[in-house]
Amino acid sequence: MPYTIPIGPFHPALEEPYKVSVKCVAETVEQVSVDVGFSFRGIELLAQRREWVPGVTLIERVCGICSNVHSMTFCRAAERIAGIEVPPRAVYIRTIMSELERLHSHLLWAGLAAEFMGFQTLFMEVFALREQVMDLLEAISGNRVNYGMNRIGGVNRDITDPKSAIEIVQAMAKAIANDVVPAFMTSVTARGRMAGTGRLTKEQAIEWGVVGPVARASGVDTDVRDDQPYLAYQELGFKIVTQQEGDVRARVVVRALELLESIRIITDALRNLPSGPLRAFEGMPNIPPGEAIALTEAPRGEVIYYVASDGGRTPARVKIRTPSFVNIPALEAMTIGQQLGDISLIQASVDPCISCTDR
Amino acid sequence: MEQNDAVIPRVDLIARLTAIPGSAQVEERCDGLWMLAPQLDVEAMAREMKALGCRLVTMTGLARDDGETTIIYHYARRHEAINFKTATSGGAIRSLAPMLRPASWIEREIHDFFAVDFVGHPNLIPLIRPPELKDGFFRDPDPSSITPAKQ
Repeated sequence: MPYTIPIGPFHPALEEPYKVSVKCVAETVEQVSVDVGFSFRGIELLAQRREWVPGVTLIERVCGICSNVHSMTFCRAAERIAGIEVPPRAVYIRTIMSELERLHSHLLWAGLAAEFMGFQTLFMEVFALREQVMDLLEAISGNRVNYGMNRIGGVNRDITDPKSAIEIVQAMAKAIANDVVPAFMTSVTARGRMAGTGRLTKEQAIEWGVVGPVARASGVDTDVRDDQPYLAYQELGFKIVTQQEGDVRARVVVRALELLESIRIITDALRNLPSGPLRAFEGMPNIPPGEAIALTEAPRGEVIYYVASDGGRTPARVKIRTPSFVNIPALEAMTIGQQLGDISLIQASVDPCISCTDR
Repeated sequence: MEQNDAVIPRVDLIARLTAIPGSAQVEERCDGLWMLAPQLDVEAMAREMKALGCRLVTMTGLARDDGETTIIYHYARRHEAINFKTATSGGAIRSLAPMLRPASWIEREIHDFFAVDFVGHPNLIPLIRPPELKDGFFRDPDPSSITPAKQ
């Protein structure tokens, strides 16, 4: 006899409010539907009522994990409309901030994944490492969540002590390479819990249009940093991490290996930090009539901003498409035919961000 | 994405894009190709873009003064962004959801914000619209609810 279990929108297993309705026969999932919109804040509409500068502050609040990506992508779209060239030092600082953000986001997710698996020691290990990233972000920006680093035309703050930052990330690299990555890749606990669970084939990944680590774990080698290079990624070089299995374990492995690639990029950027100004101009930006898109690879995948200006004091239109918006619907393909008890692990493997999705 | 890897000379790519029924003008900008196509056959566009190995990234709605909605289809091809700009007619446009899974949520959201009728969408129910608001609340927000930005 089929039965339906509603999970959420408010449930201890979900970090943010969304609803997954699961129809099962015995313990096997037969049908899944996802409802979102429980934390809708109308940020796109609000951004169209804010002037350009306070708009950056508002946009940064789309997400508490990838806040820097949002403000930076909005600034990049505005800079394209206005033809503003960002100084090289600011480009490198944006790159470093983006990769530090990826580092803390992936470590946050890895810690939660360890907890979902019942691997408490790994959870503690990963969160201790994440705290070091948060300390470094705080040392650079003065903040732990909304960093306030981006402005139209550059950045607000400098990185004044790159040598110390290099020492911190190099120490982290050792711990990640020696402890975290092997724990996820070789531990019997991790392998037994994740391998073969929540599979999304390459064909399904393309069909559902998923992005980021979810796509790369299914063998789709897409990454905005490589596809349409921005910031300093072309100069610093970049290697896409992919896996072929498309299961929960593959999503974990992709993120674990991306930690090491992020550390490599951060280190190289800090060592080669150009000298020069932090911003293209002082004072308020003048954004002429026009429109532009900007794409960025957030920790969870591709983010796109469409921004239009009519030459006024506020943007005429701000459209935000976040990676979770396209990754969450694919839960349907990942969960049908799976065991009910694996649902929480599968949905966590997508690393869904509801704040981003609902905006 | 691997299906996007086939190298197509730019002139051939533009020729194929402009051959899509309704494509009127192409602009090469710093953020990719922009096809201006007021009378675009969106289903023909979707078929051709699939054949070219392009991925639908998202769609943007923009309210127009005449009550219609400008719809921009944002596609990605390996190293390039391709955008089609068209408009609704009588508040409606054909849905791509039956052909493209990712279009379903995007169209539901644009329906929430701008009350666009996506003809043929299998399930055009609210996605993120709060129940106390009406479809199209981005189009004509209640002026009394607007707080001007501080000067």
